Amino acid sequence: MLQVHDLQAGYGGSQVLHSISLHVEDGEAVVILGPNGHGKTTLLRAISGLIHPTAGRVELNGRAITRLEPEAIVAAGIIHIPQGDLLFPEMTVMENLLMGAYRSAAWRERNNKLAQVFRLFPRLAERKNQLARSLSGGERRMLALGRGLMGEARLLMIDEPSLGLAPLVIEQVYETIHEIKRTGMALLLMDENANHITGLADRVYLLEAGVLVREGTADELLGDAALLSAYLG
Amino acid sequence: MEQLFQTIYSGILYGSVYGLMALGLTLIWGSLRMLNLAHGSLYLVGGYLAWTIIDQLHLPLVLAFLLAVAGAALVGLIMQVVLINPLLGKPGWDNASLIATVGASIVLESAALLIYGPQVKQMPTVVEGQFKIGTVLISNQALLVIATAVLFLILMSLFLRISRHGLAIRAISQDMDAARLAGVPARTAFLIVMCISAALAGLAGVLLSSIFYLAPTSGFVPMVKALVVTIFGGLGSVKGTIWAAYTIGLLEAALQVYLGASWALPGLFLFMIVMLTVRPNGLFGLGEARRL
Amino acid sequence: MIQDQRLSQQEATATLPRLQRSAIPWANPNWLVIGVVVVLALLLPWVTLRLAGGRFITHLIITFFVWGIVTQCWNLIMGVSGIYSFGQMALYAVGGWTTGILALHFGWNPLISIWLAPIAAAIAALIIGLPTLRLRGVYVVLLTLAFHELLRNYVVNGPTIISGGGYGLRDVPKLGFDQFGGGWEILLYYYFGLTLFGIATYAIWRILHSPIGLAFRALRDSEDYAVSRGVDRFRFKLFLFAFSAFFTGLAGGFMTHYQGAASPSLLSFGVIINLLAMIVLGGWGTFWGPIVGTAILTVLPEVLRSAEAYRNLTLGIVLALIAVLAPRGLVPLLAQAVRNLRQRLRKPEAPR
Repeated sequence: MLQVHDLQAGYGGSQVLHSISLHVEDGEAVVILGPNGHGKTTLLRAISGLIHPTAGRVELNGRAITRLEPEAIVAAGIIHIPQGDLLFPEMTVMENLLMGAYRSAAWRERNNKLAQVFRLFPRLAERKNQLARSLSGGERRMLALGRGLMGEARLLMIDEPSLGLAPLVIEQVYETIHEIKRTGMALLLMDENANHITGLADRVYLLEAGVLVREGTADELLGDAALLSAYLG
Repeated sequence: MEQLFQTIYSGILYGSVYGLMALGLTLIWGSLRMLNLAHGSLYLVGGYLAWTIIDQLHLPLVLAFLLAVAGAALVGLIMQVVLINPLLGKPGWDNASLIATVGASIVLESAALLIYGPQVKQMPTVVEGQFKIGTVLISNQALLVIATAVLFLILMSLFLRISRHGLAIRAISQDMDAARLAGVPARTAFLIVMCISAALAGLAGVLLSSIFYLAPTSGFVPMVKALVVTIFGGLGSVKGTIWAAYTIGLLEAALQVYLGASWALPGLFLFMIVMLTVRPNGLFGLGEARRL
Repeated sequence: MIQDQRLSQQEATATLPRLQRSAIPWANPNWLVIGVVVVLALLLPWVTLRLAGGRFITHLIITFFVWGIVTQCWNLIMGVSGIYSFGQMALYAVGGWTTGILALHFGWNPLISIWLAPIAAAIAALIIGLPTLRLRGVYVVLLTLAFHELLRNYVVNGPTIISGGGYGLRDVPKLGFDQFGGGWEILLYYYFGLTLFGIATYAIWRILHSPIGLAFRALRDSEDYAVSRGVDRFRFKLFLFAFSAFFTGLAGGFMTHYQGAASPSLLSFGVIINLLAMIVLGGWGTFWGPIVGTAILTVLPEVLRSAEAYRNLTLGIVLALIAVLAPRGLVPLLAQAVRNLRQRLRKPEAPR
């Protein structure tokens, strides 16, 4: 479904990603593990169009989507749920969710999608007229996920879903991500530690210093003791 | 007592028109992070286009006004495409955008001077007649101006609050990246904001010149007052801007009535200086002033 | 094994002159060039006064001196330090009016009162700067515009001693050079103006290359880093603001006595636009930019006299074009062109 070939990207003069190649198949959940600052966010931004890669190709079902503007990538069905949520602080929960369905195709379906999202996140339904900036950390994460779901995506790219959350909340977040996967959504997840990905991830990549150093099924990598100790928090 | 009534009447009149202009400015600041110093000249475009259409083409007044507003939006669009778009994303945005808009304003104002000459123009009114309440003179046209301005302020607020594109405009000014990730096309959105802002300025020009007069220098002072309103209401805050517009309008009216016309502008400025020193974020500002 | 990366004694010594030149450029000035320029500047009026319309040409050069000081000062705070102040002409007016009033209404000797102009302007700058410089970009624009408008209002509508009934100061005593007779008068004004211009330019050049100037370029380019290294934004900004006002006020004072008048039209927006155009055209934030820009825009309008009505229009178009095509101005553009040329000339010798 998603194919990335030899992607290179960076900021200004410094190159962050060196020849990244990976793929995500329909309905697959792919997790990219790696320490912070090594390029995980840059990779997602290069795919979603916030930055333009300096070299390489990104293809969705055979169609080239490299260097397209973010709105085109969203229209193609890839939604990037960014690190740190990036909510609209002065908008209500409802308005944030509606923004997720901005795209005209999604907008038509917005009432259905809202119902789905509220079913998944009942807490958000309770707070639907509250301003986003008054939500707790866990609620913001849920709102970010919910907003991403509103966009009728075929592939969700989630950057650090566990960032800054208490362990109990992280469990809930990952449970929800499991549920999302069960609906058949393809997932590309980034995280710093591997604690919750058993049972979720179909395949795992390891990203270090802008290079994919390992690839394998979840069983393969998680069976590796040395790896486990490095990546379990 | 009558002075109070005059103050309130004038204050509402000024506030309504300033609200239109300031709303445009605050939208542009919120989304583009740019101080549009050409805003006053867009006011001029609206006024002069209306005058030309009425005087030369003899079209019905209301139609002329609508065309003038559309014309102002068009000029704004051209300005955005020719001057601003090339600068987007490049370093030195603050400087370059400032100079570009200053350049545009000079071009438009000198063009107005060249085409129409320095004499003031009088705009015909849609409705005639006036009446008095005590010694306060109220013209029907002024009432129409207030009604029109208030109507458009309400329409804009509704647009921003309820419609999909209004939501998108608010989204851009709150978090640009998140808006793009939701599929909002940045350049198109900027263009729409500029057109709306220019239309609002043009509308202000048409309305105000129908009760005062129009001259090539007419745009500067309303723009400065709109800037004061925008700052007072908080850059980027729509609700704050509208509140601030009426506050400033009433303040100016009070200064005029009780202290005399020559005190109005200096008084406003003094007020702004004090206010910025004490409360740099304005009424509802989005935290832009950043003190040391 | 770690290779010894240090420079050998020879190499270290060889780099010395280049280092020194950039760090303390005034220690080893190019005396030849400076000498030639100074001599040319001193001899220039003797040449121009002999030409047809020489008086006017010399007058233009004196105008260039005055506005050259103002634009350099404005560029120092706006282009180099990022203080978007629109109050430059207000400070100029404070200077001009101070010495004008002292000479006209209180009978002071202009050659003495002129030195109070920069002081008054600097004090005014401190007053304006205290509330203003703590705030960021766009707020500074507004507050300084506000001060400008307040001053303009006061100058036009205020007490007659200042406003002259709205016409400003008229028949201000000149600097007493007329006792030497016609030709000498303008010559002496030229040299006075040249001296002021020279001092101001040198002072600005020194500031730009001093630790303060470097701190400012650091502030402009990366505020957070500079602050973390202990650069106190506010005090520095206040100092530069007052420094810039000092010379601007001096220029205002000189011009008042040279023309024998101080008109409120100096505070019109058109003058601000003109000055802004000079800085932008020449090179925003550079040293030579304002000088080049002022020279061009002082001479050109006179050459295009017939097109007076179109002058503002052209100015606006020029500003807009520069903002889009060459936002850094002419001087950096030329510098880049020269650099490109040098590279192309050097290429044939580059190893393959």
